[in-house]
Amino acid sequence: MSYTVEIENVWKRFPLGRERPGFKEFIVNLPKFVKRNRDSNFWALKGLTLKVRGGECLGIVGKNGAGKSTLLSLILGTIYPTGGKIKVSQRITPLLELGGGFHPDLTGRENTLLNGVLLGLTRDEVRERMGEIIAFSEIGKFFNMPVRTYSSGMYLRLAFSIAIHTDPKLLLIDEILAVGDEAFQKKSKNALVGLIKGGVTTIFVSHNLSAVKEICDTAIWLDEGKIRAEGKPERVVEEYLRSAG
Amino acid sequence: MSNREFIRKRDLLWLLTKKEVILKYKRTVLGILWSLLNPILFALVLFVAFKIFMKIQMKNYLFFFLSALFPWNWFSVSLTMATGALIGNVHLIKRVRFPRHFLILATIMAQLVNFIFALPIIISLSYFHGKGPGMNWLLVIPILIVIQFATTTGICLVISMLNAYFRDLEYITGIGVNMLFWMTPILYPLDMVPETYRTYLILNPLTYLITAWREIFMSNSIDWGSIGISLGSSLVFLLLGILIFQRFGKRLDEII
Repeated sequence: MSYTVEIENVWKRFPLGRERPGFKEFIVNLPKFVKRNRDSNFWALKGLTLKVRGGECLGIVGKNGAGKSTLLSLILGTIYPTGGKIKVSQRITPLLELGGGFHPDLTGRENTLLNGVLLGLTRDEVRERMGEIIAFSEIGKFFNMPVRTYSSGMYLRLAFSIAIHTDPKLLLIDEILAVGDEAFQKKSKNALVGLIKGGVTTIFVSHNLSAVKEICDTAIWLDEGKIRAEGKPERVVEEYLRSAG
Repeated sequence: MSNREFIRKRDLLWLLTKKEVILKYKRTVLGILWSLLNPILFALVLFVAFKIFMKIQMKNYLFFFLSALFPWNWFSVSLTMATGALIGNVHLIKRVRFPRHFLILATIMAQLVNFIFALPIIISLSYFHGKGPGMNWLLVIPILIVIQFATTTGICLVISMLNAYFRDLEYITGIGVNMLFWMTPILYPLDMVPETYRTYLILNPLTYLITAWREIFMSNSIDWGSIGISLGSSLVFLLLGILIFQRFGKRLDEII
């Protein structure tokens, strides 16, 4: 069995507390910076090891600040681990902060092209799918307007629509099953579940524990940067709930 | 890299460049015309100040300084824009994985578009006041574009990355570009500078690049010496830029 994601003993540190220094402070306090104060670091992940098989859906549960989002960003590659190794063998489609890559002054069409390419398609491939993306997002004539004129619902709908039409191979999801109004929520959830059940490898962070139990094949409980439990979603969720009281 | 991945990277660079160009003139009336109007108005001021008020005794003074000013503008505006190339695109950097240096390349490409837009002015000046565009142009202009692109990329990689750590660099760049403008033979010929001070200008790598541009535009001649030195320095800048960009890029996510 081949793994899509392999994470080996990964540590991630964030500097804490200190205001980012200006150039003058940096020169004046150079000696202080050289022997960095170790206490002012926050370890978001502490020696995490994890493997995700191709086609598998992994659920991640845990309290706020447990390191869930840090883990997703590390897999995505927008941040680097302080220590350890991460290997990802597939193109990643993040559904993290939807529409984050949009520029308000560009039109829906321009943003769709740029985002589609950023998510792994070529320009021609995005153009071929443009019709489907417009139809799914229900944006209509607003598609040729700058996205700053969109309502927040339209914004998210377009972003979601682009992401799922990029032929995802590895989905990273952070609590986004609630996009738009009732009808669109249903439609988007069906589309996502369709992808996941259709064999797209998925890593799914959520506080919606019933969704984790329903959708995922396996799950981990992340606590203070470490894995507290892993295995069948029902069992992991149960353990997590028991500790939460 | 597979063929498809190559096409995708090319598309990405193209779209990022287009975004730079579009956004710059979005919500303006004159649009891309500003990219021409801007240097022309600046040139007009310089012409009035130096030719009319200071009465500089030089034939074709306008052609003389424009042949250097247009390439210079490509360089200097790129540097100024590069300060914001990373910190102005946090939303992309934090949420999507893609080669971050593309943001810098796109900035420089967008300014290259402006430079190419300005070439017709140079061509007509050369037609009326110089020897006219010759075959040498077709050889030298692409070479000089590549050299200047490499030089600018190297410097912009450093500026954009370090500015994420120390925002002071934005102001240092502003002053630095301004100083460099007067320390490079753009408005005056190198041989007008007193012997004692000429050494400083000879140490400035941009002197050679600007001289090479001027030689081809004004006299249709190829200054291989200047081209060689520019090429050498461009490689140094580029290598240094790549090293610093990679070194500091590892912790960029913790900073921005």
